[in-house]
Amino acid sequence: MLFNIVYQFGDALSFLLLSAIGLAVIFGMMKIINLAHGEFITVGAYGTVVSGKVFSLPLPVAMAFGVLVTIIFGLILEKLIIRHLYGRPLDSVVATWGISLIVSQSFLIIFGPSYEGLQTPMGNFKLGDYSYSEYRVFLIIFSLLLLALLYILFMKTSFGTLARATIEKPEMASAMGVNVNNVYSATFAIGAGLAGVTGALYAPTMTIVPSIGQAFIVSAFITVVTAGASPFIGLVPAAAFLSTIQTSVTFFYKTTIGIVALLSSVILIIRFLPKGFSGLMERKK
Amino acid sequence: MKINIKKNKLPILIFLIFGIVPLFLDSYYLDNISYFMCWSFISLGLAVIWGMGGVLSFGQTAFFGLAGYSFGVISINFIGVPGVGIWSVFLALFITGIFGLIVGYFLFYGGIYDVFVGIVTLAITLVFETFMQQTAGPEYTIGVARLNGFNGMQGMPTIGFQDTKFGLVQGITQYYFILTLAAIILFALYKFKNSKIGLIFLASKEDRDRVASLGHNVKRVQLIGFVIASLLAGVSGILYTNWGGYITPSSMGLVSAALPVVWVAASGKKDFLSVFVGCIFLVWLSQMLAINGAQFAIIAMGLILVITTRFFPDGLILRAKNILINKIKWLQ
Repeated sequence: MLFNIVYQFGDALSFLLLSAIGLAVIFGMMKIINLAHGEFITVGAYGTVVSGKVFSLPLPVAMAFGVLVTIIFGLILEKLIIRHLYGRPLDSVVATWGISLIVSQSFLIIFGPSYEGLQTPMGNFKLGDYSYSEYRVFLIIFSLLLLALLYILFMKTSFGTLARATIEKPEMASAMGVNVNNVYSATFAIGAGLAGVTGALYAPTMTIVPSIGQAFIVSAFITVVTAGASPFIGLVPAAAFLSTIQTSVTFFYKTTIGIVALLSSVILIIRFLPKGFSGLMERKK
Repeated sequence: MKINIKKNKLPILIFLIFGIVPLFLDSYYLDNISYFMCWSFISLGLAVIWGMGGVLSFGQTAFFGLAGYSFGVISINFIGVPGVGIWSVFLALFITGIFGLIVGYFLFYGGIYDVFVGIVTLAITLVFETFMQQTAGPEYTIGVARLNGFNGMQGMPTIGFQDTKFGLVQGITQYYFILTLAAIILFALYKFKNSKIGLIFLASKEDRDRVASLGHNVKRVQLIGFVIASLLAGVSGILYTNWGGYITPSSMGLVSAALPVVWVAASGKKDFLSVFVGCIFLVWLSQMLAINGAQFAIIAMGLILVITTRFFPDGLILRAKNILINKIKWLQ
């Protein structure tokens, strides 16, 4: 019983973390309101499933292929459109919304209303009366590891310092001899690639439909906003807090009320903790 | 009320064209244009809060739905009571305005700005949608009005006076009713834009702190702008409910929340007339594309948006309007 609750909680937690992880870079750091984030996840999922089916690649290779496709997709978009919208955050809403329409509809036309998915890898294990998916437990651990890696990349390496400095003061960074455009492209590609990872990881667990990304987008935004100004520090406590609320309310009432509680708590957090969980943690230091 | 005809040739011309259109169209197309015009008010509201005040709100859709549902609940409960077709509209708008006041107070007096306003208002919209979707059961009944969950509410009476010459707001009456309302609201919005409050509101977009340091109460002005926007969204919601005789939760979803943003941005958020014309044009365009192009319609719509923001950041219709005024001497 206790493990069951922990498992449900962990499942919700990893879903929030993985849906937010790419957006934490693109929205949390670069301040681009990327409404096409869900479609990046879609690209990753289709890349994985289609390559897995057509070339009958083993799953990890197919996943790597899916991520690669998403990175390339992100780089092309950045070069053609996003690059011209830096510093115009509200216009990026409209452009990325347009992109998301184009992408999801193209997938519908090319691959049809649904695509035969892959089997969930790994087995199940039994504990007490319930049986649990090993893959879901893997996702929980993997999402935490991925976040730790991301934290190291952006906070401890010289690339991370460069990226943060460039986003903070582009003119200054440029004056110091940094190629601002390349740093932006690389950061955006990392964000897109992470969204691709999310798509690849969830591809074997879901029915593959062109609107698959829509399932992630709202969770992604609310988690990143709750995480606050330093997304990599705040993401885990934010996701933990939100999944606690969602699982407990869902446990006592029903799923829709759980979603209502989740969204309401986000509204209250923005009101009373405008800098999110990372602001709270930095204040305590 | 004095309208300077020399300076306002274009808006007057546009409304004259809309005014004589019914002479050439049958009732099917007329109803269709009424439908397109229904959506212009929610977009005009967004042009106020976003175009003037620089505050991007996804909450317009929530006010749209709230007004539609309130109108439905009130009018269904008091069906048959004299004048219900009129005062239920005002009551629904009153409820919407109060809700707008509460949300706006929460936002602006709570120090929520920029992107966070977008997220909070989106969350409010989605809370509404999620809640209404699960109201299918009979326990969700207000008076005699069933909310009816995913399928939406229906059976509300038509706006208007039953037994007067003016009649009910449907068919050609509906067309001229909405058109007149649009003209009045556009005129009022231009007045608002040039009023003292409007100018403070415009300035607050550029630099909030500087305007505040000049001694203006920025928060109050933003709140006023937000309430105006929510009321306009409410007008759209009521007219939409009246037009089709139903309202559904999906009119408050993520897609519906983004649509007004898209229309306003593509038309030109800084100019009310462009938003009015652009909104009608874009709703018509998406309908045409949906009928003729089927699956490629959405791709075409997406392309329009991307190209507009990439190459015409001020908006397509506003650009066309400026070219028109520059080219044709008579309009200047």
